[in-house]
Amino acid sequence: MSAAGLERPQVVSHVQQALSYTVFDCKWVPRSARLLCLGSAARGTGLVQLYELHGARLELLREIEKPKPIKCGTFGATSLQQRYLATGDFDGNLNIWNLEAPEIPVYSVKGHKEIINSIDGVGGLGIGEGAPEIVTGSRDGTVKVWDPRQNDSPVANMEPVQGESKRDCWTVAFGNAYNQEERVVCAGYDNGDIKLFDLKTMSLRWETNIKNGVCSVEFDRKDINMNKLVATSLEGKFHVFDMRTQHPTKGFASVSEKAQKSTIWQVRHLPQNRDIFMTSGGSGSLHLWKYEYPAQRSKKDSEGSEMGVAGSLSLLQNVTLSTQPISCLDWSPDKKGLCVCGAFDQTVRVLIVTKLNKI
Amino acid sequence: MLYIATVASRGPAALPGRRCVRGAWGRLGAMGDESVPYLLGEGTTKTYQIPISHLDYKFIEKCTDVKHLEKILRVLRSGEEGCYPELTLACEKRIECLDPRSRALRKEKPAATASDFTAEEWEAIHSELMSWLTEMNEDYKKSQLLRTDTLNERQDNLPPIRCSSSCLPTSQNKKLQNKQRSKKSIPRDYSEWDKFNVEKECSKIDEDVEESNSKARFSSRTSLPMIEKKIDTTGMTKREKIFIATREKEKGNEAFATGDYVEAVTYYTRSISVIPIAAVYNNKALAEIKLQDWDSALQDCEKVLDMEPGNIKALMRRATVHSHLQNYQAAIEDLNNVLSVEPENSRAKKNLLEIEEKLKGLKPISEPQGKGKKILIEEIEDSESGEGRGEDTEECERHGGDKTSAAPAAARAAAGEPAMGNAHRKSHGKGKAHDRDTRKHKDGAESGAKKGATEKKAEKLLSDHEGEVNGYLRSDEKSESAEAEEIKAHGEGSRSAAGDSSTSLPPTAAKLKSEGNELFKSGQFGEAVLKYSEAIEYVTGLGEQNPDDLSILYSNRAACYLKEGNCSDCIQDCNRALELQPFSLKPLLRRAMANESMERYRQAYIDYKTVLQIDSSIQAANDSANRITKTLIDQDGPSWREKLPPIPVVPVAAQIHRWDGGAPTSEKKPNTVDISREEPLQMNREEAMEEFKRLKNEGNELVKTGEYEEAANKYSECMKLNTEEYSVYTNRALCYLKLYKYEEAKRDCDHVLQIEDSNIKAFYRRALAYKGLQNYEASVDDFNKVLQIDPNVLEAQKELEEVTQLLHLDTSAGDDNQQMQGKKITIQEVVTDGQEEGTPEDAETARVAAEEAVAKAEARPCPERLRVSAPSNAYDFGQMVNAVNATKDKAACADLLTLTEPKRLPVLLSNKLEGEILLVFIQSLEHYVAGKDPGLAYQHLFYLSKAERFKVVVALLSKNEKEEVQQLFDVLSESQSDQYSLEDLESLKKVYEL
Repeated sequence: MSAAGLERPQVVSHVQQALSYTVFDCKWVPRSARLLCLGSAARGTGLVQLYELHGARLELLREIEKPKPIKCGTFGATSLQQRYLATGDFDGNLNIWNLEAPEIPVYSVKGHKEIINSIDGVGGLGIGEGAPEIVTGSRDGTVKVWDPRQNDSPVANMEPVQGESKRDCWTVAFGNAYNQEERVVCAGYDNGDIKLFDLKTMSLRWETNIKNGVCSVEFDRKDINMNKLVATSLEGKFHVFDMRTQHPTKGFASVSEKAQKSTIWQVRHLPQNRDIFMTSGGSGSLHLWKYEYPAQRSKKDSEGSEMGVAGSLSLLQNVTLSTQPISCLDWSPDKKGLCVCGAFDQTVRVLIVTKLNKI
Repeated sequence: MLYIATVASRGPAALPGRRCVRGAWGRLGAMGDESVPYLLGEGTTKTYQIPISHLDYKFIEKCTDVKHLEKILRVLRSGEEGCYPELTLACEKRIECLDPRSRALRKEKPAATASDFTAEEWEAIHSELMSWLTEMNEDYKKSQLLRTDTLNERQDNLPPIRCSSSCLPTSQNKKLQNKQRSKKSIPRDYSEWDKFNVEKECSKIDEDVEESNSKARFSSRTSLPMIEKKIDTTGMTKREKIFIATREKEKGNEAFATGDYVEAVTYYTRSISVIPIAAVYNNKALAEIKLQDWDSALQDCEKVLDMEPGNIKALMRRATVHSHLQNYQAAIEDLNNVLSVEPENSRAKKNLLEIEEKLKGLKPISEPQGKGKKILIEEIEDSESGEGRGEDTEECERHGGDKTSAAPAAARAAAGEPAMGNAHRKSHGKGKAHDRDTRKHKDGAESGAKKGATEKKAEKLLSDHEGEVNGYLRSDEKSESAEAEEIKAHGEGSRSAAGDSSTSLPPTAAKLKSEGNELFKSGQFGEAVLKYSEAIEYVTGLGEQNPDDLSILYSNRAACYLKEGNCSDCIQDCNRALELQPFSLKPLLRRAMANESMERYRQAYIDYKTVLQIDSSIQAANDSANRITKTLIDQDGPSWREKLPPIPVVPVAAQIHRWDGGAPTSEKKPNTVDISREEPLQMNREEAMEEFKRLKNEGNELVKTGEYEEAANKYSECMKLNTEEYSVYTNRALCYLKLYKYEEAKRDCDHVLQIEDSNIKAFYRRALAYKGLQNYEASVDDFNKVLQIDPNVLEAQKELEEVTQLLHLDTSAGDDNQQMQGKKITIQEVVTDGQEEGTPEDAETARVAAEEAVAKAEARPCPERLRVSAPSNAYDFGQMVNAVNATKDKAACADLLTLTEPKRLPVLLSNKLEGEILLVFIQSLEHYVAGKDPGLAYQHLFYLSKAERFKVVVALLSKNEKEEVQQLFDVLSESQSDQYSLEDLESLKKVYEL
């Protein structure tokens, strides 16, 4: 291997843990070396497993079984002290659990008619100013924003006109929460639509279509003046939008890159460096990318309106871990380079990505 | 042979085997080309139809088409033509070499394992993780114990629930509640989202708030990103605080990396609000330096140093801040501290050198009283880089005219000019116009001026830091900020003192113009254009045209176009402005810039040259002219000048005219000027001036190359033409000093001091002359006078000490004196080169002497001009060469080479010759020596080739470097000398492998 090759970040598979169920989501518990695996057991129930990383093995601390398979979870709207887990399940329920006393949810609402595909939280963990809020996106076509302090009803609801065909919402993400008022929700749909809802002005701020189903969207950081958005798609391409400059007609500038031939299931930005992110692919591969800004992030068009200029992407590393799709991915917020991913081969892997400091 | 065994059985029966063998040969580096070619070149691959012959080491090595190589690679990888791992690898390498980012190179890779790392690395990775794990697990247990009621406390601080917030006014609350409810019954669909009128809703909310007069949270509509500067940390444990502080710092770093310095400062502030960490203060200071917020940066650096005394970065940064605040002593102190810890810190060294030079450069400038002020102001004008001068000066003159002329003229002078403040400043600076009643103008203008100066310096230093950016754009920005200041100053002035101010522009136009100026200031160039256009239309519509004002309007609009990058319109407007008001500096400069950015270098060059003829002290023009010269040389080769259209000669009248507000014109606007209009007397004077200028210039050049005898002669000739110019006398005095003709030097200084009794240079040089004459008492006297005028002249202090010592030790004087002369001369050199133009008497001449600009420009790129003296041994020489090489200071290198006997080069260089050094030598010979003394250049080249290591160095020269050498030879072959013939040159060329 060349010297340059050694300088690149390496992905080390630190622990592999075989599971007896299908894992849909995995999450680090903030401020700890513990992680959660959420999924569906063979008999059609939901499972939450809490593991603790001990050296080179994962120790199962707790297993919680729930009636419905759990599709997704987030810690985004909870405080650092509480660390309540919010989950969305196959039945459209949004639940918030105290993992210390998981028998009864601390908050529960039947939010959607069908499966909740995606969930995101903001305002907790010291990430994002303003109220703690959870957004859920569902197969029933709606995107709803919830405040854990308000029972039963969402604080904002975004759904298609009655009669119009409902698109399956696959992914949602919060962003722009840099002060108490500002906040946006980005949602991606199965037909390739990406919609950006401004919660402050309660308006649809921008929409676009990337032709193929949008599997995952994420802002580089939720708690800054929105900077970049990555959207991954079904056919293996992903797009990075520069969200700083919105042109009145052209919207946001973007750059796209094809990572592989198969679906890109997830994108997750490194919490310690917003310009580095990892995508996980249908072929069991992970790609580590870096976004490089252009010299000038915006320019004036002929009419004098500002328009963004997209940067470029460089592939830092790629590895293939499995033959099955890697469906979920999560960076440890506390330890730079520590990462967990779950694949459809019923395995979670704890990965170490080295040399992230040197980029 | 194992290799052959792996060959796949597919493909044309004979070929794979043969190819494989060939591949093996290729791998072994054996011959084999002749033996196989007849077998190759038949057939193509199944996919992509690539000729089989392309699957070959030789082909792959030579192929530069990445796409084609990628196809080959795909074929090779697929194995459909057989499996050749080595060839595949070679192909991959070739692609990587051509396009490291090629997607074809992406391979499926397994996760890295221990074997991919060295044992230490692997160990490090693991131990790091383990220590984190233990830390985390302990922490987890602790937090379990600490779990208290802080939670509730914190929940109280949470913002209200969206849309049903309790703190919203009831009326609005109801409305929103309704909305909420209706949302539930009739879902809000996308189209509704689209229809939602944000403005209306928000204004509704605003109204509501006003009505109910309560504090609503969601009503405050901040258009700009408002980020809280503090983070509420109630109830957080220490670890959590560290966690949050680190994250905010990371956010700051990211923002910094993308150039959002304001945002970066905000996030650093937030981080500090959680936990103050030295490193964060340090980063914040850097961001503030980038924002030129010197005071805050200084504070932050000091905080770091409070926390961590001796923090190198903080010291470096504080030095930068100090130097920008012109607090040079403190800066030097900081840098010395850095160097005491890290003696090898090259950046600190470089900065120290720069600041010391600056300190020196400042000294003579801060002369007492009106004089000092004047110089300061002159400097600022330079710093404005010329833009914004033409009109200012016009205004100035007009204003001066007010004093004598009647009311209408006064009205004109006070015209709503952005340059007003500047005009006052200038007249004040010259000490000629005495307008007492506009004191405020002065103050305003002066503060503006000072600010301008600091900004300029700031820019300069920053650009030093950031390396070679587009200095030209920078200077442009600079002038803009200066212009803005002017406008401000004017605003104040007119309010306070201008009871009499009416404008020659009709009020409507004046208003439009000032609006335009405002817009320009705030960067809305497009709108500014509209305003100016309206004003122009209005003025032209009136019929009774005022060419001055109209010209300024055009010129201003041109500035807007330039900013927008609309070069062709800019040029058009400049042309119009110049038709109306020939020889205005601003339009000329703007046209030059526009031409330059349209890559019409020749026109741009002409314009810059014209500008320099009108006012040689415009830095931007100097820089640009130089830059374009280089570009043109690159483009057209050494004979670039021949391809230029003739540079219009600006008659002296124009230069004088400049102060009158009008100006003659250049040839580019044929219908505007005819030189014949000028009186013959003026023509004579003009010629005299030209001659004077030329002679002085030549004199200066000669001083630079060390030919003091000739220089003195030139200056003497100058004096015949113009006896008033005492700068010539001081310069000649310098030459005499160098020639040890102390008596003559003294006489020249005396002469100057008769005319002007406070000329610091004359005093200084006379002091040196006295010293040379061993009249130490008189020398001490003169040095004291120098120090009286400016107590900060370090050289004078030093000299004074020495001379006082000499006075005491009269006996050993002879010896010491000998030594001291050497020293003295080096110092002298610095003084002259650096400042000739900056001093008052020279500045005046400089205006007339347009060509001098070139000389100055040559000297200018090296503000920290190295002191060069004749090298006595190889070590001395090596040191100097290293210094020259480090700064790439070609002028200094040329000096060094002129001082060095060519014959001694091989000895002096010993075995230290390197490619870089050779290149610097070649370049300085080409640019500085070959033109003046081709013989010397040839000699140097000849003896360079005799130096040790020469063969190796020449063999390793890159193509570009060879071109440089070739250029030098071209120059030499063009210019003739008795020292060499063309044959000599040819044979030397061979030695240089050309």
